[in-house]
Amino acid sequence: MMAVAFKPIIYEDGKGIFHLYPGLCKGCGLCIQKCPVNTIGWSDTLGVFGTPTVEPGHGKPCTACKNCQTVCPDCAILIVPIKDRKNLKES
Amino acid sequence: MATLPQPPMPVVWRSETKPHKFCPGCGHPLVLKALGESIEELGIQDKTVFGCDIGCSLLAWDFFNLDTVQAHHGRVTPVIVGLHRANPRLVGIAYMGDGGGYAIGSQHLVNAATRNEKIMVLLVNNTLYAMTGGQMAPTTLPKQKTETSPYGREPETTGKPTLGPEMIRAIAPDSAYVARGTVSRLPQLKRFIKKGLENVVSGKGFAFIEALSLCPTNWRTNAEETWKFLEQDMHGYFPVGELAPEKGEE
Repeated sequence: MMAVAFKPIIYEDGKGIFHLYPGLCKGCGLCIQKCPVNTIGWSDTLGVFGTPTVEPGHGKPCTACKNCQTVCPDCAILIVPIKDRKNLKES
Repeated sequence: MATLPQPPMPVVWRSETKPHKFCPGCGHPLVLKALGESIEELGIQDKTVFGCDIGCSLLAWDFFNLDTVQAHHGRVTPVIVGLHRANPRLVGIAYMGDGGGYAIGSQHLVNAATRNEKIMVLLVNNTLYAMTGGQMAPTTLPKQKTETSPYGREPETTGKPTLGPEMIRAIAPDSAYVARGTVSRLPQLKRFIKKGLENVVSGKGFAFIEALSLCPTNWRTNAEETWKFLEQDMHGYFPVGELAPEKGEE
């Protein structure tokens, strides 16, 4: 099996480390609607289809609830709670 | 080179075929995420055969690291039944849309359920024929506008939307597992899929799960209206939950 590596853009916001994979994000915006603190908004970075990707920092601080990660149809978001930063080296 | 954290894809997903072929905001990959995690947790990857139908569901033909077969429209149920009969060790999953399951392939679905075949049917309901541009399907809601019902579906002339799990529950034996989940409650949908797979793996009987899904491309909705259509209109018509057999049968 061929291993494929995706490169994330990493943001820190509130209690979460927000990893966004522009190579997967298609800019559907489903995560924006499901964020309970409205921290997710559109970014200037373009995704795989040339549409805007998303970024945190547009509302209240992230609570690391992972709703966005759950509802992303493309697995383009990974949330790691800041308290679990040590485990991040695993890939 | 330092290793970077990788996307949270189920192990069963084929990462080299990602990004996948589904539209932005499509519900199919959410269903396939729940299915992938269920297969992974049950440890049945090496004996699972995944069959997809015609329609948007066929875009899943290279989605998984699983043996995969793609059948003619509506015929994925008998193909998977045949595979399972030839080799009962296999766990067969027939994956289809509402057009494939309730329209052209309904006779196969009905008969497989009546015979209590030991396969799981996972049917994704997005209320229309999405791949061909959004025509009216058996599941289109009353008053819903589609390419072929531009003034809204009129139940007087076109009937009411098909309630698939209710139909399967009525005809399948008690040992069959029947449920309707939704992509807006993904942990619950995953629980239903896992129970369905366990029903098949243990040899108890048929499993049928309908997943209410999203189609922003053909609904012509933005993200906010997409969730609203699913959670208000679709949940209002299609009750979500498990369908237990009626007491006193068998």
